[in-house]
Amino acid sequence: MQGGIRAWEGLVAEGPPESGMAYFGDSVRPPDLAMLAWMLEDGSRLFYERMDEFLRDDDAKQLFQSLAKAEVSHEKTVAELYRGFSGGRAVEDDLPSDRGDIMEGGIKVDEALRWARGKDVNAILEFAISLETNAYDLYLKMERRLEGDAKKIFLLLAEEEKAHLGRLAGLLEKKM
Amino acid sequence: MGVLDYFKPVLAMTTDEVRQFLRDRNPDEYNLIDVRQPKEYEMGHLTGARLIPVGELQQHVQEIDPARPTITY
Repeated sequence: MQGGIRAWEGLVAEGPPESGMAYFGDSVRPPDLAMLAWMLEDGSRLFYERMDEFLRDDDAKQLFQSLAKAEVSHEKTVAELYRGFSGGRAVEDDLPSDRGDIMEGGIKVDEALRWARGKDVNAILEFAISLETNAYDLYLKMERRLEGDAKKIFLLLAEEEKAHLGRLAGLLEKKM
Repeated sequence: MGVLDYFKPVLAMTTDEVRQFLRDRNPDEYNLIDVRQPKEYEMGHLTGARLIPVGELQQHVQEIDPARPTITY
């Protein structure tokens, strides 16, 4: 349902940016998946890092900084995968020139930051939960497209995104 | 192909469409799932909605009747 419970109650003036669902056609190649994962991790890291200046809540600040560090670790993992798939090329050297900064769900980072400014901690936590849910779903889809070590790596990344989701949900419960 | 081409918009019902949908059907004709956190659910939810927090969906997916349309929020 568009806008969730807040829209139902008539409270939403401006909902968070809408996520899209990732679909991969038959022609998608393993390096394409690794590059996409890298770009989304990079965008999510940027968003989480900026939450430090948007939020006053110390618990949330701490959690978002921790998630930003986790995204850096994921970026390194998928950059290595890309290197393996592409005969040693660095993912940063092959990024499309017009890529812009995007995060999970295909959301533009600047659009998400514009929305997040002035929002309360619970609204931002709910948004981050939707991001991590998207990331979890995306990595499971990618994992099904791959084989061998790459498959195991994406499964591991999916599990880590699920753990992030749990941490965000736990903090939201605490703040309610 | 651009990166954003991988992402397709998710079709979602408006609140008016959901109101109409629920009015026109009996509760046993659909799944209405609240995917928020328990305390959010306790503070208010759509009548008849079942709570399955998003992080627990995978564990409970078998309990959702696939033959019925499902509305989540």
